Amino acid sequence: MMSTYIRVEFARHFRDGYNLIFALLLPAAMYILFGSIPSYTEFELGAGNVKFYLMISMAAYGAAVSTVAIAGTVATETMQGWGRQISLTKMPPSMFVSSKMIVAATVAGASAALVFALGAATGAEAQEGWIWAASYLIILLGAMIFACYGIGVGMAFKSESALGLASGLMVFFAFFGNVFMPLEGGMLDAARFTPMYGYVALARYPLLKDMPAGVDMAPDALWIPTANLVAWALIFVLFAVFATRKAKARQ
Amino acid sequence: METLTKTNAVSLSGLKKTFSTPRSKVEAVKGIDLQIQTGQIVAFLGPNGAGKTTTVDMILGLTQPTEGSAQILGLDPRQAVLAGRVSAVLQTGGLLRDMTVKETVSVIAHMHEQADRIGEVMERTGLDKIAKRRVGKCSGGEQQRIKFALALLPDPDVLILDEPTAGMDVMARRDFWAAMRVEATEGRTVIFATHYLEEAQNFAERTVLMNHGLIVADGATEDLRKLISGRAVSASFPSAEHAERAAASSDSVQVAERNGLRFAFRSSDSDSFAAALLTEYQGYDLEISSPSLEDAFIQLTKDPS
Repeated sequence: MMSTYIRVEFARHFRDGYNLIFALLLPAAMYILFGSIPSYTEFELGAGNVKFYLMISMAAYGAAVSTVAIAGTVATETMQGWGRQISLTKMPPSMFVSSKMIVAATVAGASAALVFALGAATGAEAQEGWIWAASYLIILLGAMIFACYGIGVGMAFKSESALGLASGLMVFFAFFGNVFMPLEGGMLDAARFTPMYGYVALARYPLLKDMPAGVDMAPDALWIPTANLVAWALIFVLFAVFATRKAKARQ
Repeated sequence: METLTKTNAVSLSGLKKTFSTPRSKVEAVKGIDLQIQTGQIVAFLGPNGAGKTTTVDMILGLTQPTEGSAQILGLDPRQAVLAGRVSAVLQTGGLLRDMTVKETVSVIAHMHEQADRIGEVMERTGLDKIAKRRVGKCSGGEQQRIKFALALLPDPDVLILDEPTAGMDVMARRDFWAAMRVEATEGRTVIFATHYLEEAQNFAERTVLMNHGLIVADGATEDLRKLISGRAVSASFPSAEHAERAAASSDSVQVAERNGLRFAFRSSDSDSFAAALLTEYQGYDLEISSPSLEDAFIQLTKDPS
C-alpha cells in the first residue's frame, strides 16, 4: 500500500511544476550563478576549491528547502481531512508520515545530486573522492531535521500559504546561517545560533577539516556545528510534536 | 427473541464527549444509548450543533469518547475499521485537490488492500467517465460521489454517511440518493446524518432525532411522519374568544402557539379548518405551512409518545 501511495505522490509533484522549480531548478541555477564568477571560484580552498564549497552550500540549501515543502504537506493534508480519510483505512498514520519522508528524502536527494552533477561538470574539485560522498550524505541526512520544522509550521498555521512562508523563511535562515556567503565578525558569532549554520558547516567539514585555525574560512571545532545541529533538531522535533498535539486537540 | 442472538450493527452505551479548551468546556454529546440492528437504514436527524458529527466520529473511532463506549458489530471501532467492516462518507474535506479521481480511488483502495475492487467501484459510482480529472476540477456532487466510492471500497457491512448531500443542489442530491438506494439494498446497515427532514422521510426506516447532544426521539420514520403530518394554520382574530371557539370546533385542532391575537393551530385537516376560520370565526391574514424540522422537535419533545 505504501508503494502505490509513494508513486502517486511523485506523480503529483511532477505535475506541480511550481514545486519542482523550487526544489530542483532554483538551487541548480543558484550554483551556476555563484559558481561561475571567475574572479574567485577557481581558488583552492581546504581539500578542494571554492566551486566545491559553493556546490555544497547550494545543494544543502536545495535539499533543506524541498524537505520543508514536502514534509509540510503532511500537516496541511492532515488538516484538510485527508488524515481522517486515511484513518478509515488499514494504513496507520505513521505509514503516511513515512511515505512522505521517503518522498521528501528522494526529492532532496535528487535536488542535491543535480547540483553535485553540475559541480562535477563545471570544475568543482576535491582532492579525494570520499569527500564528495561524505558531503552528499551529510547534506541528505541533515536535511531531515527540517522536515520537523515543515510539519510544525504546517500544523501550527494549517494553511498552504504558511508553508510557503516557512520555505521562504529558509532563505533568511540560509543567509544568517552562513550558507550563501561567508559571514564575518559579529554576524558570524550570531550565525552560530541559527538553524542552518550547524547543518551546512558539517556538510563542509570534510572539505575544510585540515585547514589551520585562524585562516580565513577555517572551520569551527567540530563540536560547535554538531551542537548546533543537535540542538535545532531537538527544537524542531519538540515544535512539531507540540504543534501536532495542539492541532489535533482543536480538530 | 431474535434480537438477542443477533449482533447489533452499532451499539452505543452512555456515550459522552466533552471538548475542553483552557477557557471553556463544550458538551457536544451528553450521553447516548442506542442499538441499531444489522440491515437497518437509520437517519440521525438534527440541526447543526446537535452532536451528530461528534457521534459519528466516535462510532468510527476517529474521536475517543469522554465516557461510555461505541461498538460496531461487537468490535471496537478501530478493529471494525481495520477489518473493513465499517466505512464512511465524511462531512468536510477529505480529498486532495491535485490528485486525479483515479489516483484518489487507487491509493485508498491500496490502503484497504482491496485493489481488485477499483474498477468495479469506479464503474458503479460512475467515476470511470471522469477518472483522469483532477479532484479540484470536479463539482461538489462529483466530489461527494468520489467520497462515496471511497467508502464502498472495503465492501463494508456498516456504511455511515455524515451529511452526504451538504452543499449539493437539488438535482445532485436526487442523483446521490438514487445511487445510495442501489447500494443499500445489498443488506448493508446504513446510518446517515442529515438536517433535511425530507431525506430522513424518503430514505430511512428509522429516525433518531438529536438535539443539544441528546436523543430527543427515536422511532420508525413512518410514526414520526404521522406525528407531524398535520399542517400549521395561523390566523389573526378580532378577539381571543373567536380563536378559542375555533380551537374547540374540532378534535383534530390544537393551539400550537399564541402571540397576542395571532394564533397558530395544528390541524390534520387543514383545508376544512382554514375554510371554517375564514367563514365562521372571522379569522384573517391566514397562513398555512407544512411542518418544519423545528416543528418536529417541538412536537416530539412535548409528548414523547
